[in-house]
Amino acid sequence: MSGWLGRRKWITILLFLAPTILAILVFNVYPILLNTYISFTNRNKFRPNPDCDVVLTGLLDPICWPAFRDNAPTGLGKPYVLQDPILGNYDTLMGKLFTPEALLSLVLIGVTFAPLIGANYLSKKQERKIDKKIPTNLVWGLGILIAVALFFILNVPKSISSLMATGDFITVVFRTALFVLIRVPFTFILGLILALILNSENLPGKTFFRVALFVPWGASSVAILMALVWQFLFRQQGTINQIFAVIGGTGPIWLNDPILAFGVVVIADIWFSYPFFMVSILGALQSIPKELYEAAEVDGAGFWTKLMKITLPLIRPAVLPAAVLTSITAFQMFGTAFAITGGGPTRGAGVPGATEFVMVYAYKQIFQQQNYGTATAFAVMIFIMLFLATLYSLRVTKMTKGAYE
Amino acid sequence: MKRKSKPIIRVLQYVILVIATLYALYPVWFAILASGRLGDRLYTLDLGGMFFPTEWTFENYRVMLFEKPFLTWLTNSLKVASITTVASLIVCTSAAFALSRFKFRGREFFLVFLLAISTFPGLLSLVAIAQLLTALGLYGKHAGLILAYTAGTIVFCTWNLKGYFDTIPIELEESAMLDGCSPVSAFFLIALPLAKPALAVTAILGFMSGWGDFVFASVLVPAPDSVKLAVPALYSLANSMSVPWGYFASGAVIVIIPTIIVYLAMNRYFEGGLTLGGVKG
Repeated sequence: MSGWLGRRKWITILLFLAPTILAILVFNVYPILLNTYISFTNRNKFRPNPDCDVVLTGLLDPICWPAFRDNAPTGLGKPYVLQDPILGNYDTLMGKLFTPEALLSLVLIGVTFAPLIGANYLSKKQERKIDKKIPTNLVWGLGILIAVALFFILNVPKSISSLMATGDFITVVFRTALFVLIRVPFTFILGLILALILNSENLPGKTFFRVALFVPWGASSVAILMALVWQFLFRQQGTINQIFAVIGGTGPIWLNDPILAFGVVVIADIWFSYPFFMVSILGALQSIPKELYEAAEVDGAGFWTKLMKITLPLIRPAVLPAAVLTSITAFQMFGTAFAITGGGPTRGAGVPGATEFVMVYAYKQIFQQQNYGTATAFAVMIFIMLFLATLYSLRVTKMTKGAYE
Repeated sequence: MKRKSKPIIRVLQYVILVIATLYALYPVWFAILASGRLGDRLYTLDLGGMFFPTEWTFENYRVMLFEKPFLTWLTNSLKVASITTVASLIVCTSAAFALSRFKFRGREFFLVFLLAISTFPGLLSLVAIAQLLTALGLYGKHAGLILAYTAGTIVFCTWNLKGYFDTIPIELEESAMLDGCSPVSAFFLIALPLAKPALAVTAILGFMSGWGDFVFASVLVPAPDSVKLAVPALYSLANSMSVPWGYFASGAVIVIIPTIIVYLAMNRYFEGGLTLGGVKG
């Protein structure tokens, strides 16, 4: 803006940004600093207090700040000190990952995925060719076939279980990744199907269905209460099992079975998140010119061809950011799993339960076990992962493009 | 997609829609049914009662509204969420104004820095925030919670508003400045009224983040009953063995139904992809 120049402009800018900067420093930057520091200490429920004579503790822990000492609770227990060795908490979480056996498992799993990456690369390269194309389906089919073959030849399940034995970090992250990999595609497909149907012309009752299908989105803002309702549905005496009883069978005890409990969390979380996809896709569909479909029909294209050649490529720019965003929030899903299973069913003391995803694990470590040291180390590693994922997603989706000019 | 759908396709479409609608509505419907069932009978033993209101009583609502401190919880939630909304709108509007209307060194960096810093999950910074609030003497008080919520909404809200402000042509303000307006008053007198829809949506989303939150409220304001917020209070009500489920269900319905209605009313704003569109810039 051409208004002011020089010092006056800077003072205005600083004045208007000051509240934001202050809030970010106090509630975002400072927690990250304190978190990182505590991850190097042995703070837990037996050692909750700071030793203010240690320079860094005195600087970072608010209880040590002179102005606030009066408000500080004087708790029992010993002061926490730096871990010896300094990376002790990280070692507990994932130290065994660096043994030859675990590294070999990691490499084997990587090799299994190689054909898929290869197929992706090859099909992209094929697309750029003008003639002599190898069909993309063939490339992908072959890639998937080889990947599945490798999965069994290299005995990947064994590698996975040996990786799971290296500590909580891999177990929890792997399980959460599995959750995201199942939940996001299903959500997308459900959203796509519903959006395609709702977008069809002269469909009587369209408005009703549109409103009805939108309801879970509203409910998702009080997710924890609705998740409790979902838990009721899948209890031993819940609706689902009563239907089983009427049909003449006995329903399983859903929430006591690791795989079924996982499935219940996925179903409930899809319920919360599909309207977002549905609405994004619906918006994108409405911006596709009808002439494209008419032209395709003249050329004799069927439903499938139109879907693959027109619809999907054209909604991609709108849907990709939504998919990336959903993946990142699905990775951080907390309420659904916490309310439905509480992270369980347990598989023994000291081992994360079957639905103990990243945030549920962190919550339990912090607020139930009070293992602050381990929990903060976990937090730091999750932060690094999310940070990289976000940077990558910004590149892929070009979300910040246009924000700078 | 097709101009004239074949009957079989139409039927298939309706089958899918009906199943999806059952999936979408049943959990909410179940909560409503359970809220009208007497005592601790969350489940009736005949299947019909799981789908239709075979019995109905307002007893649960009466107990929740007049015998439990539920109204206090609701008032607390409303108060905290409203103040959060106002505070976050003020902070974000001024930041978004500076970021949208001034070109300065470090602007890009600041915007991306906001995004990057917000990838640190709120739940994980809760220990530090709780400690900080304890030191400030704000732990267990609404003021502390409001501060934490406001800070939590800043990144999304600033990005969203900045994105919308960018779409308002600056020429309008420039012509006002020719008439002697300062850039600040030009912005507030001319651009801000034009940004009403974006402000409204940002406000409602900000409100909802405080209204529906569980973790922050349950950790930062754990007790006593007189300061609790509705959502965490209902959650602990559901988890205590001695309390009938019907109470929880009626409380949950009172919280959930208005929330759903507000979202339905905003439906058309979402459809334009405003939430994402803002972030897209």
